[in-house]
Amino acid sequence: MTVQRIVLLGYGPVGARFVEELLPAVADGSLELTVVGGEPVEAYNRVLVAEYAVGGTELDAMLVGDRAAAEAAGVRMRLGVTARAIDRDARTVKLETGEHLGYDRLVLATGARANVPTLDGVERRRRDLVSLEKYADALVGRDDELPAGITALRDLADAERVLAAVRSRRRIIVLGAGVLGLELALAAAHAGAEVCVVHHGPHPMPRNLDRGAGLVLRAGLRRTGVTVVANSRAEAVGFRDEADGSRSFDQLVTADGKQLRGDLLVLSCGVGARTELATLAGLRTASGIVVNPWLASWSDPAVFAIGDCAQVVERTEENSLERTLPGAPSGLIGPGWRQADWLAASFAAEARGEASADSIAGGAGPSSHGERTAPPAEREPIVMLKAEHLDVVAVGDVGPEPWDEDPRNPQRRVAQWADPEHHRYVKMVTEGGVLTAFASVGMPRTAAELTLLFERRAELPADRSLLLRFDGPDDDPTASGDAFAPTATVCWCNGVTVERIEAAAASGSTTVECVGRDTRAGTGCGGCKGRIAEVLARAAAGANDVAPIGEPDDATSLTG
Amino acid sequence: MPRASVDTHCPYCALQCAMTLGEPDASASPSSTAPVSVTARDFPTNRGGLCKKGWTSAELLGTASRLRVPLVRGADGELAEASWDEALDLVASRLRGIRDEYGADAVGVFGGGGLTNEKAYLLGKFARLALGTSRIDYNGRYCMSSAAAAGNRAFGVDRGLPFPVEDLDAADTVLLLGSNVAATMPPFIGHLAGAQSAGGLVVVDPRRTATARLTDDGQGLHLQPAPGTDLVLLLGLIHQVVAERLVDADYLERRTIGYAALRRSVSSWWPERVQSVTGVPATALRRLARRLAAGGNTFILTGRGVEQHVDGTDTATAAINLALLLGLPGRPGSGYGTLTGQGNGQGGREHGQKCDQLPGYRKITDPAARAHVARVWGVEPEAIPGPGLPAVELLQSLGRDGGVRALLVHGSNLVVSSPNVAAVRDGLASLELLVVCDFVRSETAALADVVLPVRQWAEEEGTMTSLEGRVLRRRRAIEPPEGTRDELWVLAELARRLECPATFDTDPERVFEELRLASEGGLADYSGIDYAMLDRGEAAYWPFPRGGTGTPRLFDERFAHADGLARLVPVSVRPAVLEGPAPDELTLVTGRLLEHYQSGAQTRLVPELLAAEPELRASIHPATAERLGIADGELVEVENARGRVCCPALLTTEVRVETVFLPFHFGDDRAANLLTSDLVDPVSAMPEFKTNRVRLRPAARPAGRLAEAGAPI
Repeated sequence: MTVQRIVLLGYGPVGARFVEELLPAVADGSLELTVVGGEPVEAYNRVLVAEYAVGGTELDAMLVGDRAAAEAAGVRMRLGVTARAIDRDARTVKLETGEHLGYDRLVLATGARANVPTLDGVERRRRDLVSLEKYADALVGRDDELPAGITALRDLADAERVLAAVRSRRRIIVLGAGVLGLELALAAAHAGAEVCVVHHGPHPMPRNLDRGAGLVLRAGLRRTGVTVVANSRAEAVGFRDEADGSRSFDQLVTADGKQLRGDLLVLSCGVGARTELATLAGLRTASGIVVNPWLASWSDPAVFAIGDCAQVVERTEENSLERTLPGAPSGLIGPGWRQADWLAASFAAEARGEASADSIAGGAGPSSHGERTAPPAEREPIVMLKAEHLDVVAVGDVGPEPWDEDPRNPQRRVAQWADPEHHRYVKMVTEGGVLTAFASVGMPRTAAELTLLFERRAELPADRSLLLRFDGPDDDPTASGDAFAPTATVCWCNGVTVERIEAAAASGSTTVECVGRDTRAGTGCGGCKGRIAEVLARAAAGANDVAPIGEPDDATSLTG
Repeated sequence: MPRASVDTHCPYCALQCAMTLGEPDASASPSSTAPVSVTARDFPTNRGGLCKKGWTSAELLGTASRLRVPLVRGADGELAEASWDEALDLVASRLRGIRDEYGADAVGVFGGGGLTNEKAYLLGKFARLALGTSRIDYNGRYCMSSAAAAGNRAFGVDRGLPFPVEDLDAADTVLLLGSNVAATMPPFIGHLAGAQSAGGLVVVDPRRTATARLTDDGQGLHLQPAPGTDLVLLLGLIHQVVAERLVDADYLERRTIGYAALRRSVSSWWPERVQSVTGVPATALRRLARRLAAGGNTFILTGRGVEQHVDGTDTATAAINLALLLGLPGRPGSGYGTLTGQGNGQGGREHGQKCDQLPGYRKITDPAARAHVARVWGVEPEAIPGPGLPAVELLQSLGRDGGVRALLVHGSNLVVSSPNVAAVRDGLASLELLVVCDFVRSETAALADVVLPVRQWAEEEGTMTSLEGRVLRRRRAIEPPEGTRDELWVLAELARRLECPATFDTDPERVFEELRLASEGGLADYSGIDYAMLDRGEAAYWPFPRGGTGTPRLFDERFAHADGLARLVPVSVRPAVLEGPAPDELTLVTGRLLEHYQSGAQTRLVPELLAAEPELRASIHPATAERLGIADGELVEVENARGRVCCPALLTTEVRVETVFLPFHFGDDRAANLLTSDLVDPVSAMPEFKTNRVRLRPAARPAGRLAEAGAPI
């Protein structure tokens, strides 16, 4: 069998993972791999771009790729080079340099780009087939040029623009109140910028949160100094003339006539898959490049897609001719990594001869997938707001209210805790006791436990309030606040309780030393001698109403 | 009669608290069997304190269960008394026969981390020369091997604490991962008081243990990750330290290699992702990363909780990586360490009872090491067998083709302490000969063909090496019971009967003198230490080369790799590790209680300890109990494919809802290890004791009743 040539287009975090997983097969010569990446830098973790944009981290800490290791294994790395076209008949990819790369398998990991909303004053390019054929050079592999003072937040160049505004403490307007927009808003406000979030829904994160959680979140945002303008549809941008004669962003104008002035407008209106190469090559696309559960294109079994550009849809008689298809690329890194792992493992297994030779490429239809089962369908992803002082976690449909009844879901139950005054809110939606959705704001321990329970599909405790208490002052029910309860342990080294010490005191041991001789309390590390003295003092006074000792000290506390 | 006032150390854990044994206490309870009184002695480790086990330790010296005469299993299948000559002749002839029939590797030796340095050393020599077998390993494989492997990989050397314990006193922050020291070595917690008063004691444990509660009232922080997710937690901390530029760049440059690859290996573990795996809030992770990097005196310590996993070596490695990034190892007042558990768990892993090791912590595969030790032993290097099998694999080979047919057990109750003990019992039953040296009739001794009654702590001389790598003298305070023999004598007698020409001294000091020579030039170099020096009370920390000085702080200037640099070793998470229990399963966590020590063979014989913790109980969360319809104290069955244990339930919020905790101190059908898996860490061969899956239900009720879970009870 000849050695399969694999070409990967796209070297983001998903592409880098694919490369990493294939390295052994490349190193031992059972596969050839060429990687084409548009950004001239090492692959980095895009999840951290918002932190980079406020100076919270640096590129070194974000790198996920290892170009040197890849090259050492024999991978051809073409970074800073854009692919311009795919010739599926010839099985070649044309690069902007004019080179043609031949492939047996083509893997598209081209990712997504930020959506540019319709705004007067901002040019927005269409990427339908007609436009692409006409303006290929300007559209393929390139993002739209935005006017000065307006940026998305997707890549390092975007982040640099934001960072400059944050560093000079400028006023930043974030358009959109999805999770990415809010992360940036919070991080920038924390870093000292003046931040205003503009969105058209009634509350932030409308896709993820119900009204209660959303309103608690909004209060939390305002408390941290972020201005929130809700119910406002952005309509236009206005520009100002700078001293050097250039024009740059000046204000955002909303449909209801608000004029919001700022120095930088960050567009955070979602992302769209980069599908233009696929579209031009005649591959089926919808909201992403359409692939079957084995990640192969509907249109060409030699072409695969993974990550933010891939839309996984099982092809059926019914849907194969429909224009719109269900689902969309998840936009999250976890599923992309799992796809990269699975596809690389699948290629490597085949190269080792573990799958039948005709199973993946070479003309077999998309219904033939060798021995390997498809990667498991992705579960609805949990959304977590990455922010320092606001804890928001949500997943699933949190719309149902506790008293709603739904004949289609008779097992559904909803439990809720709302404390807007203290910026806390939790809703748990269960089906037969197992979480199907939840939203949590301002309760980090609870959110963390719910996350774990959701991921593991574990049944919730029947007493749901147990899950709320993690974040309360009575976090530890065993401590029960009373250090002088009869069964409370005083001396850990010797397992001596309050009642034993009291008994010793009653029979005449009235000093710490005597108690030590009687019960061994205080004869280990000695750390409890103070408490023994207190127990003795209480016993002597016959007092039962002394307050528990030890209020938390905020100055040094890790928990404060 | 006891000798007046003898200074020695506690028989139990690796803290080796100093104590003085004297005339029996007149005020002691009349039921006491202790032939001596125990007084705590001022010493840097225990500072005049002892825990409940230490205070009651002398009871065991007079226990009625003491073995006082050799036992040999007769034709009737019962153990019957025999003379020493009869017993030893029998053992020697059977060993010879088995060796002739199957080869030398058909004889195995299983040692223990409680044996003195002298015994551990001589046992290794006995196996290699008198038996000619490679098949020797020990129960330290169940506790210290992962941390040891990680330490060797990163630092080039493995000494549990590479600094004296007192260094912890001045700490501002101590990150304690997977260790319940408040129950397992209580006087140690005195050294955490400084961190507590600075609000900086951070305990990572899925259980809200006594140690975790030391963080209450603003004294620190308890993180309660789901069992088995410690590695992810550590990768998250490393990620945050890297992302926020909290690393000690100058230190990394001067003292380590491997930063670039390490950095890349953690870039995908941002705090929110870690939260979704561990259940530890991202905010807590961020705060902790900053606290660790705040520049105060900072220590990171690991225990069995994070090490006894199939990825234990990687987890310990991640803890070391974190410490290195922060520049802690070798910085005055800061550091990384692992808390060794067994009394001589440190010395026990240095002198050659590990399957891949020769004295002085030398590698058995290293020709120079073999040549050195062969010279000391007066043999050709070829006479020393190669590497053998680590403990779990050794036990799996029992009775099998090419496996071990005869096993000698020293200082270990392996049918209680081994993982998957049902399989181990089967293995022992298939042996042609099982010989157990012990001073009480342990569960393992009860299965033996020959039981040899040996001496215990206050009846013998020797040395122990504590968790901080300090060599201590164990001294004889009372005359041993008639009929018992020292293990050194047993080995020498067997060697003589097996016609081994090598020397087997029976005097501990002379054995130590030989150990000094054998260790000379090795990593754990004892050549500069002698009994007289120890008797003068000098603090002897290894390495202590001849004519040199000891090394209280190991990494002040360099690490033990040839270039003096520490290795940052990237580690990654294996996906299977992250799978939580199925909906009808719980995660079983095993561990220890204050009152008992290891397999409990000793502490269950001390009336006061047994009275406090008389039986096995399964700790479960009240919410879980409610779901399963279990009341406090009700009998429950804990079960999986390997076995079943039946015991009362103990309802407590100390455990997480998806876990059940069982102490492993109990034997027979109450052995928690009936349920544990014998899968091992691929690097250290240490088994998984903390994330086995089990099902739980009320006992004596059909499984079908589970459907009614949640009904009022």
